[in-house]
Amino acid sequence: MMTMDQGAAPQTEGGEFVVSPHPYATQLRTERLAREAALGSRRETLLYLNGVNKTFDGFKAINNLSLVLERGEMRAIIGPNGAGKTTMMDIITGKTRPDAGEVYFRGEVDLTKHDEPAIASMGIGRKFQKPTVFESHTVEDNLALSLSGSRSVLTALLHKKSAADAGKIDEILATTRLTDKRKRLASGLSHGQKQWLEIGMLLAQDPELLLVDEPVAGMTDAETEETARLLRDIAQKHSVIVVEHDMHFVRELGVKVTCLHEGSVLSEGSIDHVSRDPRVIEVYLGR
Amino acid sequence: MRCMLKRLSLLWLLILAGLAAAPVWAAEGDAAAIVQSFGGKQGYDETETHIKEAAATGDPAVAPALRALRDGNLYWRKSDEAVFIATESGDTLKLADPMTGADAGTAPKDDFTKVRVKNSIRVAVTAALGSLTLRAENAVQRLRAADTLFSEADPEMIEPLDGAIAAETDATVKARMEEARAAAVLESDRPAEEKAAAAKVLEQRGDREALNKLATFASSTKDEAARGAAERAIAAIESNIAFWGQAQNVWYGLSLGSVLLLAAIGLAITFGVMGVINMAHGEMVMLGAYTTFVVQEQIRQSAPFLFEWSLAIAIPLAFLVSAAVGLVLERSLIRFLYGRPLETLLATFGVSLVLQQAVRSIFGPTNRQVGNPDWMSGAFDVGMMSVTWNRLWIIVFALLVFAALLLVLNKTPLGLQMRAVTQNRKMASAMGIRTPWIDAMTFALGSGIAGMAGVALSQIDNVSPNLGQGYIIDSFMVVVFGGVGNLWGTLVGAMTLGILNKLLEPFAGAVLGKIVVLVLIILFIQKRPRGLFAQKGRFVDA
Amino acid sequence: MILARFLGPRVIVLVAVLLAAAVLVPAATLALPASSPFHIPAYLVPLIGKYVCYALLALALDLVWGYVGILSLGHGAFFALGGYAMGMYLMRQIGSRGVYGNPILPDFMVFLNWKELPWYWTGFGEFWFAAIMVVLVPGLLAFVFGFFAFRSRVTGVYLSIITQAMTYALLLAFFRNDMGFGGNNGLTDFKDILGFPIQAETTRAGLFAASCVALALGVLVVGAITRSKLGKLMVAVRDAESRTRFIGWRPEYVKLFAFTVSAVMAGIAGALYVPQVGIINPGEFAPVNSIEIVIWAAVGGRGTLLGPVIGALLVNYGKSVFTGLAPEYWLFVLGGLFVLVTLFLPRGIVGTIDHGWSALRERRRAARAEKGESMGEGGVSSQAAE
Repeated sequence: MMTMDQGAAPQTEGGEFVVSPHPYATQLRTERLAREAALGSRRETLLYLNGVNKTFDGFKAINNLSLVLERGEMRAIIGPNGAGKTTMMDIITGKTRPDAGEVYFRGEVDLTKHDEPAIASMGIGRKFQKPTVFESHTVEDNLALSLSGSRSVLTALLHKKSAADAGKIDEILATTRLTDKRKRLASGLSHGQKQWLEIGMLLAQDPELLLVDEPVAGMTDAETEETARLLRDIAQKHSVIVVEHDMHFVRELGVKVTCLHEGSVLSEGSIDHVSRDPRVIEVYLGR
Repeated sequence: MRCMLKRLSLLWLLILAGLAAAPVWAAEGDAAAIVQSFGGKQGYDETETHIKEAAATGDPAVAPALRALRDGNLYWRKSDEAVFIATESGDTLKLADPMTGADAGTAPKDDFTKVRVKNSIRVAVTAALGSLTLRAENAVQRLRAADTLFSEADPEMIEPLDGAIAAETDATVKARMEEARAAAVLESDRPAEEKAAAAKVLEQRGDREALNKLATFASSTKDEAARGAAERAIAAIESNIAFWGQAQNVWYGLSLGSVLLLAAIGLAITFGVMGVINMAHGEMVMLGAYTTFVVQEQIRQSAPFLFEWSLAIAIPLAFLVSAAVGLVLERSLIRFLYGRPLETLLATFGVSLVLQQAVRSIFGPTNRQVGNPDWMSGAFDVGMMSVTWNRLWIIVFALLVFAALLLVLNKTPLGLQMRAVTQNRKMASAMGIRTPWIDAMTFALGSGIAGMAGVALSQIDNVSPNLGQGYIIDSFMVVVFGGVGNLWGTLVGAMTLGILNKLLEPFAGAVLGKIVVLVLIILFIQKRPRGLFAQKGRFVDA
Repeated sequence: MILARFLGPRVIVLVAVLLAAAVLVPAATLALPASSPFHIPAYLVPLIGKYVCYALLALALDLVWGYVGILSLGHGAFFALGGYAMGMYLMRQIGSRGVYGNPILPDFMVFLNWKELPWYWTGFGEFWFAAIMVVLVPGLLAFVFGFFAFRSRVTGVYLSIITQAMTYALLLAFFRNDMGFGGNNGLTDFKDILGFPIQAETTRAGLFAASCVALALGVLVVGAITRSKLGKLMVAVRDAESRTRFIGWRPEYVKLFAFTVSAVMAGIAGALYVPQVGIINPGEFAPVNSIEIVIWAAVGGRGTLLGPVIGALLVNYGKSVFTGLAPEYWLFVLGGLFVLVTLFLPRGIVGTIDHGWSALRERRRAARAEKGESMGEGGVSSQAAE
């Protein structure tokens, strides 16, 4: 996917220039080049998983999983129960450490070395399968807590609401159609509204990558359609991974699909390609 | 009560020893004449000479007279200076023949004079008795004589000891005699090689008394070679004592560990398996201890012959009492609070206050006396450490309870259902298991085990309304340390904490040792928040 | 009034009442003649002062339990540490008036044959130093303890149990004579504070006023914290800790902040408590004491500002009355209170009233919305607000 030619560059340059650069600059440059050389094929990717393994009490939840997401891409992930979808999300967001394998964000950040808040601050947002919002806060406060910005305790103590924040919250409320619920407690929302609020919280974080776990579970058809539209909107500006069971919904998204089975990739391609793959049919219908 | 029993048994032993010590010796003549020489006015020096003469006869028949002399029971008649052993009763004396012990009637006290004794005389008598009884027929007596001579360590006794050792047939007694001889040799002016050999003998003995003898010798002797031998022996003994000291600490640790295990194992069920935090768990233990008290009271009043069986009767009763209280607690309170652990904690704490006060109101605030049956009393020695029967039985009991619980959990239908409910409540319910009933039974089981722990604790701790409080924090520490939901973790956790506590005590003192352990646990939780034997899996909430 | 808008009317009223009490109660006991119906007997002043200190302690616990969801069973330890710091100052003030008349060493040290003051007693001769320690020692302990506990994500009952173990360990430690804190007997026989005789009615009135002011400040601080964005974050951590993590917050730092602030407040409460009751001993570290604080907050209503204050006053008043009438039954009452409150009044008194009130308003608003009226200002307060 990537060609590597920087490796040879230092020698030619070093030979031609008479004025030697500052030693520290040289050092920085060598380090950068070494880093880029190490990046190799994952340099241009947003998310890069290679040979990831995770075992729980002898159960292989993730088995030699490799997956690459390009910048700006939206990807749907399907798979039967126990295929390792949620564990994969856990690994990406730092909740679970893999036993082996590489997980890189933006080609260079090793996600296995960071914890959840650090990864969230880097720009990976996550929506859970079961909507989790702050029930005793209003919709507005839920969004305010999620807004990107300093995550320091003292700043939070002295924080004053700014006009920019208010504008952004208004915008998200409009996107998620929750404007008239602004002052409601989150506990008073319907299931679908909670899902949307959680997506709204993701947007408030303004992440580069959104991980969305079963966003339409328990939704009505109308809500499902609405959610698909919302996600397509979001995908204009963000990279998204959607985990979903609902094939109809996946088809509606119209993006590249990866099918997981027993912790590794079974099939990958367009929805039509994947749904015609005999192995996928066997996993879903066979046995 | 316990104390009385001990005294009684001691008395009994003494009587037995006395009977054995009073065989009628036929030998008269020389010995009799010497005994008679105690009669008449004489100085302490004279008396001491007579004692030496008596000892020199080697005839055990003079022993009763010497003993009487030491105890101030030897009298002579003013009229004829005849010597008698006599006991006072009011103004009269009850007389006995000094050689045969035969009854010699009574006589007014004024007609007799007591042979005067002072401490130096007593010491001389003891030494003389020691050498006399070396040849006694009874092995216990010979052993006692050897021990007396060991602590006296009189060089003059070396020769009698040599004779006795040559004649001795009992290996234990012979060894003691050799030790006594070695102690005497160290005090004597014998050559250095012999003293070095004696130091070796004492090293074999290896206890604190031997250490004292050697230390005294090493600090006083001028002979380099002998001192070297003594110092080597001292070092060897000290390391031996240190080893046994550690062994004793480990033993105490195991004992504490088994107590912790008993207190924590019920908690491992209710907290570990069910996830219910029961702050009244300690009070379940306390109820078990009070059940034991009530059982013993009933037995004392109506069937004293059953006393030896009181614990065997109390164990099932305590289980039932605590289990019943646990059942009521679960049905009336805890089941409304499932899934709200902090609220459960508070409510059960309230229950613990109520139970404590209830027991205080019924039985009074003071400690109640629970007796040890004979098989729970006393101690025996293993090497240089002392093992008490009650601690030993409690360890055995704790392990039995542990094994029984494993069996219940793994082999019975109730255990199967319990495990099913804890792993997946909804699924278990769908399979037709009555989950509320299983909850109640599990809680009752955990509480019942706490009750049985109370029976054991009543044997080593004060039975008071606060009994449970002393164990609750430690028990939680055991469960948290060992890992929730794993009985083996509880076992390892209890034993580790028990031994750690006791090994730290000599360095840090009891209280500081406990604090160190608490701090270590807190640090340990840092590393492994789920304990030693943690449950793993993707469903464990991070 | 920006302040009033920011803090809400209830906080303002509470603070006003406390400040009024700080002035009026001393006046009523000192200035009014005994015949006046408003006269407060002198013996009552330190008693009420004690309750006020307890209220501050309950408020401190509420900050961590009610708002962040950390059920600390060790807050008595912070209270006691603050009390000991104050007690050490008061001990040094005795000077040569002790039984043994030693100008430097407190009596118990003379008794133990100690020759000089342990190093950690230096400085306690000065009030300012003691005052700093009152804040620093509990705060530091809470910070270190919290740092380790929260970092390793010890939560829920586990945290409760290790906080209990912490106070238990301190209890054992302070019972020791060689710790240098008076062992079993603790510190007592105080003579004066800042030069005023400690038994005098005026001093007691002053201490009472100081306690009221401290509580008022505590209410303001907790009110300001909980109204800030951080306060909202605290409630978020309480309700869905892992979610806060996935949007980039570090809940351990939120908890650490609340825990440390709370410990400092508890320490101040302890420091004000000791001169009013005249003694501090290791019994204050007993785990039972710490759990009692929890019930004060629970009765009044956790997660509210008013609740713990009311709860502490009510329960302790009840305790005084009961122990006077039938001391043996007090534990039954207290135990029953634990059970009944958790079963039937989980929100506490204030929380239940608030909840009923907001439910009523919600219903009215729904009714109005049905009629098609425009909504007024939507004022649904969260249970945690105020």
